[in-house]
Amino acid sequence: MTWAEDATQLAVDRFGLEVCEHEGPEVGADQLVAFARALKDELDFCFFVYVVSVHYPQVPPVEADAEAGTEAIPGIRDRTVVNYRARRLANADRPTETFAFRTTVPTGESCPSVSSVWVGADWQEREQFDLVGTVFSDHPDLRRIMMPEDWPGHPLRRDYAIDTSHFPWR
Amino acid sequence: MTVDQSNENFSHPLFEYMEKMPGLDVAMTTADKILNWGSRNSLFVFPMATSCCGIEFMAAACGRFDLDRIGTVARGTPRQCDVMVIAGTITVKMAPRVKKLWDMMPEPKWAIAMGSCAISGDFYRNIYSVVPGVDTFMPVDVYVPGCPPNPDHLFEGFKRLQDKIKAKRNGEWVEPETRPVSGMQMPSVPRYGTDRDPAYDQAQLMATQQMGLDGNLLRPGVELPKPVPPAPEPAPEDATDGGDA
Repeated sequence: MTWAEDATQLAVDRFGLEVCEHEGPEVGADQLVAFARALKDELDFCFFVYVVSVHYPQVPPVEADAEAGTEAIPGIRDRTVVNYRARRLANADRPTETFAFRTTVPTGESCPSVSSVWVGADWQEREQFDLVGTVFSDHPDLRRIMMPEDWPGHPLRRDYAIDTSHFPWR
Repeated sequence: MTVDQSNENFSHPLFEYMEKMPGLDVAMTTADKILNWGSRNSLFVFPMATSCCGIEFMAAACGRFDLDRIGTVARGTPRQCDVMVIAGTITVKMAPRVKKLWDMMPEPKWAIAMGSCAISGDFYRNIYSVVPGVDTFMPVDVYVPGCPPNPDHLFEGFKRLQDKIKAKRNGEWVEPETRPVSGMQMPSVPRYGTDRDPAYDQAQLMATQQMGLDGNLLRPGVELPKPVPPAPEPAPEDATDGGDA
């Protein structure tokens, strides 16, 4: 049994989560920090790899049209999926392992910060706030990190116009 | 900007003394030639290298091509430099810094836009954070096209700059370079917007003009709106009314 399976076991047994094969378990926002703390303290996932937010804009559902022969397409609600990955370093007994998990928040609502668990998440969460606009609550210093300080909006959101002007530089 | 012509008949005792000295004018023109020669053959470069064009600049500065042999040395501070080589993509966040470094360089100074990103923001032109050409906010003397240009092309650009300096210091008129038009073949795969809307270019150039940033406003395909003439001053009432007041 590898350590990632142990983490899966932890997610299923203690936190009652459903585990997707590739994307890892979907953790609720309320128990995210507790889950991250258990991963780090008990299973030694001490190295934070990444946090990546993905914005899914709202798409209205399409009803089935019998005449045209098209099928119904379910709509997408406006949400932001925050993906995490942590790594467990190798030693003499075992190879290195990574473990991914994710949480989903409605766009505009805040997601708990895991920077209290992994300090390396600090700047990466700032980057996600900067580009996607995910607000991390309890973050020690949530400022823009890549875009100019006076930049309007969050450019990696799907509803951001790519040809936004920024006078006089663009 | 109007030239202040009040100093046209400037005189100074030292100048009058120098004019009387026999042979000094010959010495001055000779010194001017030496200064001209020294000015164009000791170009100290500030490498504003932000991406892969910077690697080509490093290759040009290294032993195989050796920028040193035309008297060109790269310095780490703008205070000691004559030429700024903008090599790489300039982003919106970087542009104020580039402008600040450019303003820190002492006169006389020149700028070389090296590579298609610095010239027009080539591939990244449509991206929200990329400046579409550094000549929108600062003057550019020589354009060196390429993606990235070879060291040979950079040397050719320095040669053109030296010719320009020589002509300018001799008091000759030099036609300013305009941004070269890309002859690159576009990829056949569809992508978002192969060209930028000229309305954006116009709006941006108007904004830079209002900010007082001196870019090269000569641009093929972009027509600048003519500046609005200032409102005529009201005529003085005394002259028209004939002393009623």
